[in-house]
Amino acid sequence: MKNKNLDEIDIKILRTLQKNVRTPFKEIANQCNISMDTIKSRYNKMMKNEVIRGSTIVVDPKKMGQGNLVIIGIKIVQQFSDLVMNIIKKMKGLCVVTKSIGQYDIEAIFLLEDIEQIGIIKDKIEDFPQVKSADVGIFVDKPLLCPKNFEFE
Amino acid sequence: MINMNLDKIDTTILEILEKDARTSFREIARKLDVSPDTISKRFQKLKELGIIVDSTVIINPKKIGYSFISRFGVDVKPAYSSQVLEEIIKIPSVIVASKLVGKYDLISIIVVKNFQHLCELREIILEMPYVEKVEASMWINTMELCPCYFLI
Repeated sequence: MKNKNLDEIDIKILRTLQKNVRTPFKEIANQCNISMDTIKSRYNKMMKNEVIRGSTIVVDPKKMGQGNLVIIGIKIVQQFSDLVMNIIKKMKGLCVVTKSIGQYDIEAIFLLEDIEQIGIIKDKIEDFPQVKSADVGIFVDKPLLCPKNFEFE
Repeated sequence: MINMNLDKIDTTILEILEKDARTSFREIARKLDVSPDTISKRFQKLKELGIIVDSTVIINPKKIGYSFISRFGVDVKPAYSSQVLEEIIKIPSVIVASKLVGKYDLISIIVVKNFQHLCELREIILEMPYVEKVEASMWINTMELCPCYFLI
């Protein structure tokens, strides 16, 4: 599936910034053999089109004392997934919550400071009458992040 | 619970760069009233300490041909989970992969183009040595992912 919105230069910019987002536009310009202004306007265009949503550093949460990533798979009594999802959205430590097709109806990922909180959250979720069950999975070691893998074509 | 080795300068650098990693050191320096050199040194230190693991541009997968996210739960032969994990992370479209204590041995979150792509991904993982079972679920109505963690 070829992406019509991006050409070779765009892709080159994205690839370079994926590796090191602080790469100066000048350096990318030199590599592509085009002007820095072109790179800048391409970058701005991709920001405007929301192809690029921003930039960030990846911080090791363990070193920052932010603790454990936990995934919870929840089974719900029929049509109540919106209700339960809205409640989960307000819970502390939430990274992501989603409806799901497959083994669970809702899946949520939390970042928790200590292990005890896992039990508390599980109990809290299972306390809802609309919830049939909640399975917990704890991420061990450092999860490998690979956001640089996107294929552009 | 905050890392004891970090002072106000370090935490401010982290906060600013998490929001916009292209912020110039000069601008951060101005905010903190220190020299850009200090910021540059601290940035290097944070990298050496492994606190800053990486930096990247956040791309919206929906704009480049991906249509949804899928979560794979993988069971592997005991003692081979590290090996399989290394292979899974190499697959294009995998955003996160980790060992898991719970229902599965490994978990992987993947951006998917379409149903055919989903089936292909499942096949690829199933065909890896030592993989015993692959279960996929499709995420719909996904709330925004925490960008500093999942980078979508």
